[in-house]
Amino acid sequence: MYPQPVERLVTELGRLPGIGSRTAQRLAFHILRASDEEAAALADSIREVKDRVGECERCFNLADRPLCPICEDPRRDDSVICVVEEPSDVLPMERTHEYRGRYHVLGGALSPIDGVDVDDLHIAELYARIAEAQSSVSEVVLATNPTTTGEATALHLAAALRERSPDVAVTRLASGLPVGADLEYADEVTLGKAFAGRRAL
Amino acid sequence: MLVTGVRVRDLRSYATADAALGPGLNVVHGPNGAGKTNLLEAVYFGCTGRSCRTSNERELIRFGADVARVELDVQGDGGTHRLCAALPRAGAKRVAVDGQPVDSLLDVARRPLASVFIPDRLELIKGPPALRRSHVDSLVAALWPARSGARRDYVRVLAQRNALLARVRTAGASTASLGAWDAELAACGVALQAHRAEAIASLAGPFSAHAARLGLRDGAELAYRPRSGAATAAELAAELAARVESDLERGFTGHGPHRDEISLARGGRELRVYGSQGEQRLALLALLLAERELLAERRGSPPLLLLDDVMSELDAERRELLAGELTGRGQAVVTATELAHVPGATGTEATRLAVGDGRVLSGARAA
Repeated sequence: MYPQPVERLVTELGRLPGIGSRTAQRLAFHILRASDEEAAALADSIREVKDRVGECERCFNLADRPLCPICEDPRRDDSVICVVEEPSDVLPMERTHEYRGRYHVLGGALSPIDGVDVDDLHIAELYARIAEAQSSVSEVVLATNPTTTGEATALHLAAALRERSPDVAVTRLASGLPVGADLEYADEVTLGKAFAGRRAL
Repeated sequence: MLVTGVRVRDLRSYATADAALGPGLNVVHGPNGAGKTNLLEAVYFGCTGRSCRTSNERELIRFGADVARVELDVQGDGGTHRLCAALPRAGAKRVAVDGQPVDSLLDVARRPLASVFIPDRLELIKGPPALRRSHVDSLVAALWPARSGARRDYVRVLAQRNALLARVRTAGASTASLGAWDAELAACGVALQAHRAEAIASLAGPFSAHAARLGLRDGAELAYRPRSGAATAAELAAELAARVESDLERGFTGHGPHRDEISLARGGRELRVYGSQGEQRLALLALLLAERELLAERRGSPPLLLLDDVMSELDAERRELLAGELTGRGQAVVTATELAHVPGATGTEATRLAVGDGRVLSGARAA
């Protein structure tokens, strides 16, 4: 229907998450109408991100050098490692400005249904980091998602760490009510969890 | 919580129907093929966004129409609400409360709970245990909304564990993470067992009492027969670990609450096997009535009881007994070919809805 290069662009855009065929077509025509510089800037940025951004050698966060900015930062606390599933989980943690330790990005969560096993995640590298001779890690915070797969991953790591490094404390993020939210609007399951995890004041 | 009105468009035999429901007994009567069960199904669809008769929901849409639609007026503590469920021939089902779209009516706190008896539901008594487990789990969700995720969580973890077992068996994957899945399955499983045990413990007494009142003799009993006797997650995890060899051989999990049985017996004999049609029917009614009593007590309002063609196979004495159970205990909709089959149908407390030719002919309430 359209010239072949246009069809190709529509197909490629349609592969993006959340983009249906209609939206892909709209985006493609927007790019066709855009100036050469604009379109080239988009194409360049895609190429550049794939060329230059890779995984941090130590924690597997996103990095455009061998180490990510957090691993390079000497002011960070070496004694705590926060384990997350994806690089995108680092940013929300950083926004809290509460956490000054290091990170470790697993690259997913255990999910046999999707064929993700222990060896498919950066789990061995986590053990190696903790076991390093000069390591001063005293706590590992398991910040995987509170989903079926995230919980199983946390349980697996907790059991393995207890065995390998009994001196390292293993903690899990709490789950409960969102701050500033009205009890009235909390869903029953979240509220039930919060109730089960209540604490003395 | 009461359903005060139902409006139906293009559902099964109805092009359009408007009916007002009374607060107590509602009797839908008319000849065979008049649309009695369809009206009952419409009310159920309005309450839940689902059909109680078919898993192929497109059957609900009237021939030649594009969208089946039911609106219910519901009167609760917080005033009146309008529930709307629409099922188009093409595209997704739409449900809304007071004009606001919602993902699922089942998650809406303002929806009336509905408990339904249709002849197909005898499967609950005589069919495989999976039906009884799922029924008890939905009762758990209705009694304690905060626990509604327990079954879903368990099923998800079970699917993951089974996938891992299959991968180990066929693709030689490592069993390194099996312990973590066992631990999570055990945690979800013990919670599910505890919820089922608690629900059935509260239900057993009322079930026996209702069964006796309906004339199911020799003492009817409801009991939970969990597959595992584990009281803690650690115990259940140990049981799973002990069976891992046979699980690996078969490629799926052979132990845990997904193998539980819920037993309905009379005089020590399983009704599933030894009960007559009539006895199974009475047991199902006793179960629904017991659940209604429990929900009324715990949730403050009894669920709407929908009984399709329940009277036709009961003898005169048991009709009277059932009618006695229905009066003065919340809202019920009963279908019957003859008004005379429903004792109390002509009383001033009852609402009569005559249906015929795919229309509601009269929704006149007694003065």
